[in-house]
Amino acid sequence: MAIDEAIFRETLKHQKPPTLRFFGWHPAAVSVGYFQDVPKEIHVGRCRSAGVDMVRRMTGGKAVYHQDEITYSLSAGPWERRFPDGILRTYEIISSCLARGLSELGIHAMLAEKSALARKKERAPCCFSEPAGKELTVDGRKICGSAQVRSHGGFLQHGSLLMTFDPAATAALIQSPAPPEQLRNRAVGVNELVETPVSAEELCEALRRGFCDALGVDFCEGELTPEEKAMSDRLVKKYESDAWNRERKKEDGPAV
Amino acid sequence: MKVFPEDLLYSREHVWVRVDGDMATLGITDYAQESLGEILSVEFPEIDTYVERDEAFGSIESTKAVVDLIASVSGTIVGVNEDINDDIGIVNSDPHDTGWLVVIEMDDMEQLDDLLDAAGYHDYILRQEAD
Repeated sequence: MAIDEAIFRETLKHQKPPTLRFFGWHPAAVSVGYFQDVPKEIHVGRCRSAGVDMVRRMTGGKAVYHQDEITYSLSAGPWERRFPDGILRTYEIISSCLARGLSELGIHAMLAEKSALARKKERAPCCFSEPAGKELTVDGRKICGSAQVRSHGGFLQHGSLLMTFDPAATAALIQSPAPPEQLRNRAVGVNELVETPVSAEELCEALRRGFCDALGVDFCEGELTPEEKAMSDRLVKKYESDAWNRERKKEDGPAV
Repeated sequence: MKVFPEDLLYSREHVWVRVDGDMATLGITDYAQESLGEILSVEFPEIDTYVERDEAFGSIESTKAVVDLIASVSGTIVGVNEDINDDIGIVNSDPHDTGWLVVIEMDDMEQLDDLLDAAGYHDYILRQEAD
């Protein structure tokens, strides 16, 4: 999370081209959306006793259990015309890139046209319990959950693509109105849809090609710049702190 | 197409400003609330916080995104709309009036010259959508 925030801030500050990143989590972790109420929405004690980390994202949306999955992040500034202004239009374009990548694996994912979100009083804290508009589903089950933050016209979008979906663990760690047997019908992982399981590396490569083909661009592989590295090193303190993760207090982070 | 009140000024960050002496009331535009969709939460600054123009003074959450609220003018926060805590829906339903967000005591009125009038903001949105 520190790396993604650093890349996003540096992208905006120096008008850099977009950065696409894929990564996994070790140990497994629950990430929560920027505005989420951790004590009410996450089983913090269970996370701790299971050795599962918990971190607050700067992106919105709901909680995700990152275990057998791939997380992507994409940062872009307002000058990048491939991603027009507007939350849903950005979702739509990124989802089409992901769908293109998944199609290389023989998975035909569709964009959910309308949000299936309930009224906010009934809304579940768990990302994979319901698809939102312009997110990807396969036969009505969510395969990727995404969330954005926008600042100064630019955006950072996070998303989680499931390799396998573990409804029991998800329901144990994230407050959910739906029991595991119902959650099972609401989300699905890549390796539950293909005959021969794919590795995380193969999924990342397919997704990279999906972005290249759908956007008509190529991505240059790279390392963090010295500035991104320095900023992410400073931000680690924020993302390790209870003040940020539990209470959304920002004083531990650098001024950005 | 939306109608934007003539008595307001507008930023390119989709924030409106109502000026009364050296006090500026800020809120998000009808275009912004529609783009955001259903708004769930607003994070306000503390009273007496100093905010710089073009810097974030808070954030707003809709179902799928968190968006920084960018100050159109520099100054001290002297009021926040507490009614939003009771009924967040007014930011969507009445963004240009009862859904206002904060009041800033400005320290540089000349910054207002950089804002758009209603017609200019309307044109700005049309250009954005054409891109």
